[in-house]
This record gives sequence, C-alpha cells and structure tokens, in this order.
Amino acid sequence: MRNWIYGVAAASLMVGMLQAGPAEAFERVEGRKVVVFGGRQAIPVLDPHVRYDWSTRMMQQAVYDALVKYEGNPAEIKPWLAERWETSEDGKTWTFHLTGNAKFHNGDPVDAEAIRYSFERGLKLNKGVAWMLKDFLTPENIEVVDARTIRFKLNSPYSAFLSFLPWWYVVNPKEVKANEVDGDYGQKWLTDHAAGSGPFKLKRWEPNVLYEVEAVADYWKGWPQGEANRPGGVIYRIIREPAAQKASLQRGEADIVEGLTPDDYVQMARQRGVTIQDYPGMTTFSIKFNTQQGPTADKNLRKAIAHALDYDGLVQIYNGAAKLQTSPFPDAIRGHISVPSVPRKDLAKAKEFLAKSQHPQGGVTLEYYHVAGLEEARRIGLLLLDNLAPLNIKVDLRPEQWPNMVAKGAKVETSPAMTSVFVTPISTDPDAVAYQYHPNSHGQYFAMSFYNNPDVTAKIDTARRTSDWNERAKLYAEIQTQIVEDQPEVFGMLQNRRWAHRDYLKGFVFSPVRFTGEVDLYPLWIDAK
Amino acid sequence: MVLFTLRKVAVLIGTMLGLAALTFIITNVAPGDPARLVAGPDATNDMVETIRREYGLDRPLVEQFVIYMGDLLTGDLGRSIVSTRSVMEELARYVPATLELVLVAMTLGILIGVPFGMLSAVYKDRFIDQVTRILSISGVALPAFWFGILLQLFFAVRLELLPVSGRLPLTALAPEPITHLLLVDTLLRGDFETFREALSHIILPAIVLSFPCLASILRVNRAEMIEVLQSDYIVAARAHGIDSRRIVMLYALKNALLPTIAMIGLRFGWMLGSTVLVETVFDWPGIGLYAVSSALASDFKPVVGVTLVIGFLFMITNMLVDLAYAWIDPRLRSAR
Repeated sequence: MRNWIYGVAAASLMVGMLQAGPAEAFERVEGRKVVVFGGRQAIPVLDPHVRYDWSTRMMQQAVYDALVKYEGNPAEIKPWLAERWETSEDGKTWTFHLTGNAKFHNGDPVDAEAIRYSFERGLKLNKGVAWMLKDFLTPENIEVVDARTIRFKLNSPYSAFLSFLPWWYVVNPKEVKANEVDGDYGQKWLTDHAAGSGPFKLKRWEPNVLYEVEAVADYWKGWPQGEANRPGGVIYRIIREPAAQKASLQRGEADIVEGLTPDDYVQMARQRGVTIQDYPGMTTFSIKFNTQQGPTADKNLRKAIAHALDYDGLVQIYNGAAKLQTSPFPDAIRGHISVPSVPRKDLAKAKEFLAKSQHPQGGVTLEYYHVAGLEEARRIGLLLLDNLAPLNIKVDLRPEQWPNMVAKGAKVETSPAMTSVFVTPISTDPDAVAYQYHPNSHGQYFAMSFYNNPDVTAKIDTARRTSDWNERAKLYAEIQTQIVEDQPEVFGMLQNRRWAHRDYLKGFVFSPVRFTGEVDLYPLWIDAK
Repeated sequence: MVLFTLRKVAVLIGTMLGLAALTFIITNVAPGDPARLVAGPDATNDMVETIRREYGLDRPLVEQFVIYMGDLLTGDLGRSIVSTRSVMEELARYVPATLELVLVAMTLGILIGVPFGMLSAVYKDRFIDQVTRILSISGVALPAFWFGILLQLFFAVRLELLPVSGRLPLTALAPEPITHLLLVDTLLRGDFETFREALSHIILPAIVLSFPCLASILRVNRAEMIEVLQSDYIVAARAHGIDSRRIVMLYALKNALLPTIAMIGLRFGWMLGSTVLVETVFDWPGIGLYAVSSALASDFKPVVGVTLVIGFLFMITNMLVDLAYAWIDPRLRSAR
C-alpha cells in the first residue's frame, strides 16, 4: 500500500515538474517594478563595520558607498566617493580627493569628516572589517585635510591597502551619533537601520523574512540603466530550500535566485524564460591536511594522497561547472601563476610518495570532515574514499556542523587529518590569499592545516610591505610554487558562481571578487511591460 | 480545584527551570565557538575576544549559568549573539506566527480526523474505511519536508493556485497587530483582502503540519469508536431501538473522545517541534525556523528560549487536556 502511495506521489511530482510553466509577474511599488532576489541566507545585522558575509554585504553595498568600488570581470577598483587618489613614494601615505556631489540619504554631504569617522568607528569597534586595516592604520593617523580631502598615514607600507577599501562603507556621523546608546557607536541602531549614501535606502526590515530597499531617485552617482528604467527597489527575500527557490523562480515570485543545486541549474537552463549566469569564481575548494600532527604531518603521505585523487571526478560532481586549481591562488587573483608541479591523478607517483612516507604500506585511517548537509562535499569524500583504497588508506567520513568544524580547526591538537574547506578571498590582491598560509592565520578555518614554512612566511611579510609590483609578483610566484611543493592541502577546484534569473531581468554584472551569492544590485532592472 | 491548579502551576515553574538548566548545559557543552563564527571568517583572535567579552562568553561556564538563571527569573532570556537582539523580543516576533500555524493545523487535524475516524469505525471494512486508512497511513509515513515540496510543486508551480512560501505577499503589509495572529487581526480590522492572502499562504504549511496529527487522531478515534460500538451498553441501546445516529453521536463518540483528546494534547507538543521542518520548507517566520537558524549558528540563547516556549506551551496544553478530561468524564471530576 505504501509503495502505491509513493508511486502516485512521485508521478504527481514528475508531472508537476515537467508541466510547470513560467509566470510573468513582478512586484511593483508606486508604478515602478521591484526586483525580487531569493537568497538562502538571512541578514541579521546590517551595520557595515560589524558584520559581513555575502548577503549582508550585498545589502550594505546597496545602501552605503565606499571610497572606491570593485566592478567588472576581472575585478577593477573604480573611483566612487573618491574621484582620485595618490600615494606617497614610501607607500605609507594615501590621499583621497572626494567627489563634491555625494550626499547621504538625509541630504547631508558626504565629506572628509564622514570618511574619518567611519574608519575610526570600524577600527575602534574591532569587529567585522577591522582585521583588514588594524595592523597598519590607527584612528589617530586619519587626517581630514579639508572637506574634500582625507589622508591616511599607515604605520608601514601595505600594498593591499587600496584593495580592502571597497568594503569600508561610509556612514553619516550625525545620524549615528544621534542614535548612540551608552557610547556604542550606534551599533544597536545600525543593526536594522541605515545611515548611508548608496543607491538604495532601507525601507523594510523583517528579520528572517525579507529586507526591502527603495531606489534613491536622485542618487548622486545617477543610474546606469537610466532614470526611466531604474527599479523602484529591491526585495531580498529569504528562501532557504533549493527546491523552494526553484519553485519561486518558476512561479515568478522571485526574479533571481542563487542557491539551486547543480542538477537544478542544468534543468533550469532548459526552461523557457530563464537565464543562467555561470562564471568561474574565486572560491577555492581544498582538502586541508593537518600538517603538524598525525599521519598527515608526513609530506610524502600528503603528496601520495594528492596524486591519488581523481581531479576530473571533482569537476564532474559540479556537472562540469568548476575549474581545477593550478595554484593555491585563484585565477582571478593578481599575480596568479599556473604552477607546473600542481598534482594531478597519477597512481604510480602516488605509490612512489607513499613508499617514501612513514606508512609505506598504507594501513592508516584518516578522518575527512565536511559540512553536514553539503552534498557536494560529501560526494568528494566518497571520491576520496574510493581513490585512496589502492594506497590501502581508509577514509572515515565525518559530517559535522560548520561551527563545530571551525572549533575543531582552531587548534592544532584537534584539527582533523583532512577537512574540506571552501574559501573566498576578500580582495583580488595576492596578500588576501597568501596570508592564509602565514602562521598569524593559525586558528582560523582557512588555516586548519597549520602550515608553517619560515621561508614562505618571510616572503609573505616582505611582499605585503613592498610597493613595487614587479618585485611583489616575483615573490608571490615563489610563494605559490613553494606552497604547492609543501602540499599543505589538496588543491581542488574553483567552483563556478551561478545564478538563475528570469530573462526580463537586465543589468546583471558579474565580478569575481564578490562573495558566493553576492550581486551588485545597483545596475539591475526589469525590462518588461 | 484551586489547590489542583496551584499544584499544576508549581510543577510547571519547576519543570521550566529544570528545562532551562538542562538545555543551557546541553547547548553550552556542545562543541562550537559562536563568538568565532559571529566575528567572521577572517577575524583575528583579539576580535573574537571582543565578541566573547561583550556576550560574557569569556567567563567560566558555571558563572555564565548562574547569571543566565538569575536573568531568567527576571524574565530576561539574554541576547542573540547572531542578531544582537534580545531573545525575548525575537520570540515575541516569531511565536505568534508559529502559534497561528499550529492552531490552524490542529483545527484541520481535529475537523478531519475526528469525523473520519468515526465514519471509519461505523463503516468498518467498507470503502470509506479503506480510504481513511490510506489517509492515516500516509499521514504517518510521509516525511514532512518531502510532502511540503510536493505540495509546493503541485499547487504553487503547476496549478498556480497557492503561493510557494512566506506568510504574506512581498509587498503586502500586515495590519496593525491586535492579537499578532494575522488571520484574526485582518478579520478584526476588516481587511478582507489581506485575510484572503494570509489564508492562501497558510494553507499548504498547515496541511503538511496537520497531516501526521490528523492521521493519529483518525486512527485513535477509529480504534476507540470500534471498541465502544461493540460494548454492552451500545448493544443494549440498539436493542431498545434507539436511532443509530443518536447512538453514535451522543453515546459512543463522547466515550471514545477521551483517548483522542489525550492524543490531541500530545500531538500539540509534537506539532510545535515539527514546525522546525515545515517552517524551513515554507520559509514561515516562526520559532521553528528561528530555532534551526540559531542552532546552526551555535547561537545558544535563542535555542534555550525556543525550548522554553515549546515546553511551556506543551505543559499548558496538557493542563488544558486534564481539565477537558474532567469536563467530559464526570467520574474524574468527582475523583478529584
């Protein structure tokens, strides 16, 4: 009887899926169309100096502006609140000249004092974005030269300085100070309010449900799609389940979604009225070894594992929507080189390395941790299990909640032998990736391997303090080659970034430096009656 | 009766404190570092410490526990480390949505389960009995998340009759709250358009949530009715030529209802727990969804808060069931 019920239900499911037709309806506010973005992740705190992740940053960028902005593919830093800037010869002093017409949503001008206050706030709160600059910049060394000029004096040269500025959003000091409680720098208020100058202003904030922003009609920078085409606003709606995201897109309840499964993307690409955006991303997938303790402290064993893995299988898990890593650095990072010795499947070589290791006959069992519920990571674990069998190495698959994985990876004693980790660099500057291999990063999830090569560490330190790009490029090439040689991880693949949207949605611009599902909402518009 | 009620309330308070203590300990000894998670993937150790200090996570667990229990006695459930808001404020936002969903689902379960259980017993082994048995087995067997997705695909995508998820359309605004239950508030405010929208949004999640409950009520009521219909006093009533409808509705159903009411009480608590799955599938902004997102982020205080709310509602329901027992069965009243 139960089989019969399941049969009927499955048939209904299939019929439903096959016959689902596209809907053509958009939300409208005051006669203008509103873009509906369906995303999996909530935005608990909007404060630009307290938190960031892909969904938070997407909305922060909608309501706030920064001195500069990342745009395009490859990502380039473009003038924004700052129309131009210059650097001193020693690379320690940066002077930015502000555009004269930028104004906050309440009409106040965006002046140098607003910039100074915003950087001071970010540094003093010591949360969110603070890590990017705190080692090089103190609030006392930010100088207001005049209303349109701001100067930063760094403690020491920091070549990646500019690359982080797009994520330092500017708040209106007057509004924030007016809402301070017990000297909290307005943190409580800015959790679900905004004091920005961006192309959108905050309209509705319903935690765990939706967040709505309204287009600023006279946005100081203008609208790239033209005033006639600019949307009335954007609704970011939380749709957690991939199946519900797909259904919402089909039904027209969402104009763009970001969280479909690899199979769903393939299926939706065949659906009339739907466009798939598919780009090589900057998110690396790697299997981090614990290089300090246990069997994987042995470099030869690590190399044996790296040469036993079927790399084509990795790409197949994503239905081909991924590209193999050719270096520890993603391709879109400045100074990336393809390291010739990066391992590919070669069982004979794997056996050679194994023979040189402390476990020449294999006979070890290694834990492989992956995020519970992340199907792709689990399937990669199964691939590993299969591929390591010829080396007589057993793999113990351990699904774990992300917070617990992070906690395990924080200490060398508890860091697993193998952990699957996805990492998205914060900027296109090579320091953003190289520093993950610096001992100062130990304790963070991307440094679970506890990699420590004094030569590499010294080169990372030198490169981040060097202004001359040619010199830096040479150092980063050496760093990449040495990391590959040391094999602190299996260098896996760069998963494509994908979105599915209705074909009436225009203005989508991909930029690899954005996080997983993050989209620049500013140029989007709906081209339909 | 007053003594009975006071005793029940004392037990309720004791149980709540025990529940809070137990949940606090379980969630805090579980692995995971919420401060590091909230600080962000690139945060340095001193940034993580800033968060720890702010939320008192740098103190010994025993001290944290004493502070938490002390705050609890004053009605303060602490602050969510993820959203930075007061847990009490957040619960006040999410509980009504869950309560509304559970009440609608429970109403559906009772309105369908009781009559069909009765019909199934009266027409045992006939067509209607076979149909209701299929219904009851399906209700117990179908996984909620799968059933939910199935209904979404069929009614929302295929037939375009109902919305996929959410509580209201994207641009619709909820009326000024009176009870915080959307269906009730829209009616009280005379906003029938929003009422219609709210109703269309709640139908699918309520069906999914009610299905297992409906099945249990149906099965229990059927079994009890079959037993009661075979008892001597029913046979005697039939022998006296009393109308069959009167026998079933007046004599049999009332006696068969006692275990059904117990089942309803139990199922209410179960339903509150099941909202975790249903609310996730339908993005229903209630405590189930809140509990899931908090647990996944190792945000312990909301998890304890949700547990307390569910525990409280469960115990209140059981108290009401006890009172209903006494109302239905005079023997229990006199025994007390």
